[in-house]
Amino acid sequence: MNNPLENTWQSVMDQLKTWARINSPWAIHFNSGSCNGCDIEILATLTPRYDMERFGVKLQGSPRHADILICTGPVTRQARERLIRIYEQMPEPKFVVAVGSCALTGGAFQGCYNVMGGIDQVIPVDAYIPGCPPRPEAIIDGLVKLLGSLKADGALEQASEPPLVASVLEPSS
Amino acid sequence: MTIEAATPLLTTWATDTAQPEPGRLDAVVPRENLLAAVQSLVDARWGYLAAITGLDQGVEAGMFEVLYHFCSEAAVVTLRVPVPRDDARVPSVYAIIPSVSFYERELMEMFGIEVEGTPNSDRLFLPDDWPAGVYPLRKDFEMKDAGADHAG
Repeated sequence: MNNPLENTWQSVMDQLKTWARINSPWAIHFNSGSCNGCDIEILATLTPRYDMERFGVKLQGSPRHADILICTGPVTRQARERLIRIYEQMPEPKFVVAVGSCALTGGAFQGCYNVMGGIDQVIPVDAYIPGCPPRPEAIIDGLVKLLGSLKADGALEQASEPPLVASVLEPSS
Repeated sequence: MTIEAATPLLTTWATDTAQPEPGRLDAVVPRENLLAAVQSLVDARWGYLAAITGLDQGVEAGMFEVLYHFCSEAAVVTLRVPVPRDDARVPSVYAIIPSVSFYERELMEMFGIEVEGTPNSDRLFLPDDWPAGVYPLRKDFEMKDAGADHAG
């Protein structure tokens, strides 16, 4: 039998946790075999000109401190085990953002002998950012959409959202 | 150095020469003459070995070609060595040019052409769990030979 005051306290704590997680999503970046074009655009997004850090995104060195895995590259066979290991080291709740057309479907390397063909062949992906490479505005759009969807329906507790696709051509809501 | 300087060096060893573009010379060199042809280019200090590439002419043709590209400024001389598919071996030029080791290792793992006399025949680019005997750059390579977990 639940004390109504206990329920209020629980929901307040949940909202507080959600608020804290949405407002400071720490990120780790991983390159699973890309040409580095998308990595350069991600680094540009973190610089003061495009400034991803105003959303609270901080680039971390260790997956154990990160909420978001920003991943580029078609997953090469050698990178596959490393990517899975990094994904498993991240504590829940965690989200994966696939940046660039190689990370979405394998891009120019789809069907090659050494490539798995996109990050969602290996780990579950929450947001897709197309482009070759995507502009920093598109990367920000994708991240903001991911964070917005978490806010919308408390999906931090169960991450079963359909994936989001960012586009610079769409007006941001 | 120019193409005109390279042509007399190779006429003894090549069975056929062609100039597909100005500044490029293709010389078909049989397998037996390969070391002598490379030695003559190196002795005359004509350029440097830029790359060794393999070419699969298809299963029906039954031939590979191993191409040795020598570059000198803008001129390129290519020694084309025809290699039969069922007797795929080629002598190593390591004794003349030691830096070919990486190219020959790549040739061996991607085409399955045995390079005789090269000191290191370990895999270079393919992952450690790649199945043996499967050569990705051959025309008859199938993705399913590469392993069951390979989405591609």
